Amino acid sequence: MDVLVIIPAYNEEGNIKRVVQNLIDHYPEYDYVIINDGSKDNTSKICHENHYNIVDLPVNLGLAGAFQTGMRYAYEKHYKYAIQFDADGQHRPEYIKPMLEKMEEGYDIVIASRFVTEKKPHSARMLGSRLISAAIRCTTGGKIKDPTSGMRMYGEKLIRELALSLNVGPEPDTVSYLIKQGAKYAEVQAAMDERIEGESYLNVGNSIKYMLHMLISIVIIQNFRKRSRLFR
Amino acid sequence: MSIAFRIILILASILTLLYMLRKIRKSQLRIENSLFWIVFAFALVVLGIFPQIAIGLSGLLGLQSPANLVFLFIIFILMVRLFQMTINLSRLEDKLRSLIQHEAIREHEEDKKEEQK
Repeated sequence: MDVLVIIPAYNEEGNIKRVVQNLIDHYPEYDYVIINDGSKDNTSKICHENHYNIVDLPVNLGLAGAFQTGMRYAYEKHYKYAIQFDADGQHRPEYIKPMLEKMEEGYDIVIASRFVTEKKPHSARMLGSRLISAAIRCTTGGKIKDPTSGMRMYGEKLIRELALSLNVGPEPDTVSYLIKQGAKYAEVQAAMDERIEGESYLNVGNSIKYMLHMLISIVIIQNFRKRSRLFR
Repeated sequence: MSIAFRIILILASILTLLYMLRKIRKSQLRIENSLFWIVFAFALVVLGIFPQIAIGLSGLLGLQSPANLVFLFIIFILMVRLFQMTINLSRLEDKLRSLIQHEAIREHEEDKKEEQK
């Protein structure tokens, strides 16, 4: 098995079983690992009862820390491809295959994008996405149509980098950093669902903070980062 | 605000900025933690370049001199930051405590298992 599906989960008792069972039943060709990020609800219990493959973090590390744990797992077990997959049911596993096919053409990152063939709507929510796209384009020249999509697949070289470095959280600024380093990237059209149970942490205040963080990071900070030797 | 004061303000801010960026470059600082300093340094540069802002606001607040407004601003922002840091620190201590307990209990159970063998 070459592909590892990394499922970071924080308080996802309402979704985790549906998401993981779907993956096991219909997509047995992919390995998966659930990273339970110190959930306070029954997420861990549900996974253990069903004998899912789960890593429990004893304290909450946040999405970046949980995802990196999954990347380390992928790195230590020598997976060729690792994909970030949300536990809330937003991401659909049927798109893993086209992403994988794209990867095999020789890309380093493939993003499941909502806006390759579809048009981006002019809503307030998408304003942020547009700003980030523009920032990435200005600073790297790379065109990313759906920078905030969390469903990204990484190849072997990047698994190592993302597993071991600092400041490589699963966010658009990391994508911009990797493009700057010369990583080859592609986007694959994919539909995404709304989360079914539970609440997203992105309220208005957090969204503004997130945007500010991303824009400052992409426009200013990433320009000063050391070039890694990955793609030279 | 005297020219010297403005120059010091701008220079100190730019040096702070460069120092933070260097730390990030060397992978010794998380981007999240640098954001505050970058925004703060940027605000001080703006105050240094456009003294009209400080002059106007100090008039509004009835302060003796625009420099006082700059001090007030810096003290206020640093107080807020200190408050946040205190909260972060106690959260961190809490996590560390929980982690140590988790680790200790796990080790204890492993020892027991070995004894039983």
